[in-house]
Amino acid sequence: MTHPIHRNPITAVESPAVGVTIDGLTKNFGTFRALKNVSFSVEPGEIFVLMGPSGSGKSVLLKHIVGLEAATAGRVLINGQDATAEHTLERIRIALVFQAGALFNSLSVYDNLALYPREHRFGDESTIRDKVMRALQILSLENSAQKFPSELSGGMRKRVAIARALVMEPQLMLYDEPTSELDPVMSATISEIIATLKDEYHVTTIVVSHDRELALGIADRVGILMGGELVFLGPPANLRQPADPRIADFFHPRIDLKNPRFKNLET
Amino acid sequence: MKQLTHFLEGFGSAVQLLFQSARFAGTLPRQRARFIDQCYLIGYTTLPIVAILCFFMGSVLALQSGYSMENFGAKQFIGSLVGLSFARELGPVIVAILVAGRVGSAITAELASMKVYQEVDALVTMNIPPARILVLPRLAAVLVMMPVLAIIGNLIGWFGGAVICKYVESIAIEPEAYFSALRRYMKFKDVGTGLMKAEIFGFVVVLICCSIGLNTRGGPREIGASVTKAVVVSLISILVLDYFVTKALM
Amino acid sequence: MNTAQQTARVGLFFLLGLALTWVTWETLSDGKLFKQTGYSLIAGFDNLKELKQGDEVRMAGVKIGSVERTRLAGRRAEAVLRIDPGVKIASDATATIVMAGLIGTNYIGLDLGSPGSPVLSDGAELRTKITPDINAIMTELGSLGQKLEGALGSITNTVSGDGKNPGLFQKLDRLVTDNSAKIDTTMTNLASATDKINKSEGTLGKLLNDSKLHDELVATVSEIRGAATDAKSFVADAQILVNQVKSGKGTLGALIFDETAGNDLKVVTRNLRDISEKIAKGEGTLGKLLTDDSLYLSAQSTLKKADRAIDGLGDSGPITAVGAAANVLF
Ligand SMILES: Nc1ncnc2c1ncn2[C@@H]1O[C@H](COP(=O)(O)OP(=O)(O)O)[C@@H](O)[C@H]1O
Ligand SMILES: [Mg+2]
Repeated sequence: MTHPIHRNPITAVESPAVGVTIDGLTKNFGTFRALKNVSFSVEPGEIFVLMGPSGSGKSVLLKHIVGLEAATAGRVLINGQDATAEHTLERIRIALVFQAGALFNSLSVYDNLALYPREHRFGDESTIRDKVMRALQILSLENSAQKFPSELSGGMRKRVAIARALVMEPQLMLYDEPTSELDPVMSATISEIIATLKDEYHVTTIVVSHDRELALGIADRVGILMGGELVFLGPPANLRQPADPRIADFFHPRIDLKNPRFKNLET
Repeated sequence: MKQLTHFLEGFGSAVQLLFQSARFAGTLPRQRARFIDQCYLIGYTTLPIVAILCFFMGSVLALQSGYSMENFGAKQFIGSLVGLSFARELGPVIVAILVAGRVGSAITAELASMKVYQEVDALVTMNIPPARILVLPRLAAVLVMMPVLAIIGNLIGWFGGAVICKYVESIAIEPEAYFSALRRYMKFKDVGTGLMKAEIFGFVVVLICCSIGLNTRGGPREIGASVTKAVVVSLISILVLDYFVTKALM
Repeated sequence: MNTAQQTARVGLFFLLGLALTWVTWETLSDGKLFKQTGYSLIAGFDNLKELKQGDEVRMAGVKIGSVERTRLAGRRAEAVLRIDPGVKIASDATATIVMAGLIGTNYIGLDLGSPGSPVLSDGAELRTKITPDINAIMTELGSLGQKLEGALGSITNTVSGDGKNPGLFQKLDRLVTDNSAKIDTTMTNLASATDKINKSEGTLGKLLNDSKLHDELVATVSEIRGAATDAKSFVADAQILVNQVKSGKGTLGALIFDETAGNDLKVVTRNLRDISEKIAKGEGTLGKLLTDDSLYLSAQSTLKKADRAIDGLGDSGPITAVGAAANVLF
């Protein structure tokens, strides 16, 4: 199988796109088991959408891919290298858009975006400036460049986080609920960005999302986590008539007000 | 037993952090802006409180020794007493304690909040080691600023003693006599030893505060806990180190 | 955040630190910065005692300079003095090393010299004089005790001798009567001083940094005690004799107790006469102290200080302890 080529839009240096293999991943927090023997792989240049109810372990899974958490059992391989190894992050550019943004609160929006290219010496200040401004434009943030994160709304922060990830020109892009706080127009823009990065630069992408439209629109493949277990893995078309009742419930929740859970709400 | 393992863990991670930062020492020229920023915070903005406290410590020291030395007619040695105790002991310790309280707590609060709000995680995924951009500039800045703070604190402390000696009626020693007594029994080595002590204390305080800040786990509540812990550990370290450093530099 | 301004401030701040360190260094290491003014004079002594670099030079009690350096030059010790500019020192002004306080700050004292004599210029040498040293007084006191002991033993034997020389007793009588107040005070002081030292021996001993000094102190104290006992019994015996003479028993009668020791009388008489004459002439330390009122008065004032030192903190080191003991004797 030939790997698609990742081309760095700035340096024009070409490198093979990145594949991710998750192999029997299990994670315990004390006695609590957040991930139970999860295995799947993401092909180079593929868009993989990971879905599941909140608390099912999606964010924990992403943290394992960037090496922020160490697996209790099993392993995560990126291009065949262990994700927790130190040199993995040195060789492969991985961008993670954190669920809460994780912006640098002491830096302005502009400096948040410029930190990575400056630290890794992408070029002189004007080159960096061009890149940063372009990323800000894509996310309609050009007027907020000099603001500080504390002055932004939740949705704007999410967009800054995405812009910051774009500036990194990653080979592997991970989004943790990128559209959760965004309006429909912005959600559409994010979908477009993800698709463009895949088509033009063959960026491998993993998106964690509740957004069914986004998932079904852009995903090459979908995985669904429930209670730390991978309960579905396949193309989005297979989700239209899910056989598993748990998945059907997830997509078409039926709110039954007779449910004893709601009894106390009635007055 | 649990306390001991905690202590060893903390000690270990501080030492580890020191080595990690030292590895990036070469990047310091590129981090000039951050370094200057930290110098400003650690040195310049700490000066007023150092000045105020050292002035009053010097005065009180002169007042107390004037009171007790009057009994056996050794008042003319107040200058020597204040001078030596300030240069060798009080100056460095006061400055280090102020740096721990004012700068160290701020460092821990900032790094702990960065850790809790995943900014540190973001740096790690960006392959920007926190030791390089968060710890190294602070360590370098404290190394440069500590002696400056300590010498200013010393001189202000001496001056505070002189003011008291002149204007308190029961002592009434002219500044000239005070300073000549101060000079008589003091060598520059005494001052140099003090500066060296301040340097060591400041460095250790900043290292401890960085380490505790970066090892914060949990939510915003833990930021406060980390700051408290950092200040307490810093103060204890200053006083324990003081004993050993004094012995070593005797 | 104004980075340029901040950089400037940090830079200035750092330079300020460097400058202050440099000034401190200059001031403390050789003081060039502050002492290059004025001119220098040289004062040679047999012994500089406790004098050291940085001590003051005073003329008639006014500070006019400081000791720049002390050095050995051949068979004598020299102090190089830096004299403040504008101060004129007569060529016949005499320098002495003076102990200013009980706790041992010494200074060089200069007298005014005579008016109209030529003025000393840079590098000239000062006249110097040796002053009675408290340690020397102590040593003499020790040997005085031995002399007294010898005389005392003889006297007991001599009372019954031929006693041809009643003038001796009159002399002695006069001596004792004239100085009885001083001797009494001395005895009381001595008793209380030794007592105090005895009581606080532990404290004083602990306060001594140097075991050698400690031993010296102990030896000195016992020496003083011995001298005191001897002096006391000497005076007591002499008093008996004097009383006998006075009460009309007659010199001859008083001296007939023991006939065997007659031969010794001559020797003893000579000894006693020597001592009393020396004392009367003001020779020797005791003589000086008895004849020179000013010396006696200054010793008295020192004694008060010593009393305070012992009563007070007792933390004044070996010099004070010895000095106090010595001073109390007078
Ligand atoms: N650091 C942690 N310590 C303990 N439990 C954790 C930690 N991080 C996540 N968890 C638990 O793991 C489960 C999965 O969390 P997460 O992956 O954040 O959920 P989500 O799928 O909504 O992103 C949750 O029950 C959470 O409480
Ligand atoms: Mg999550």
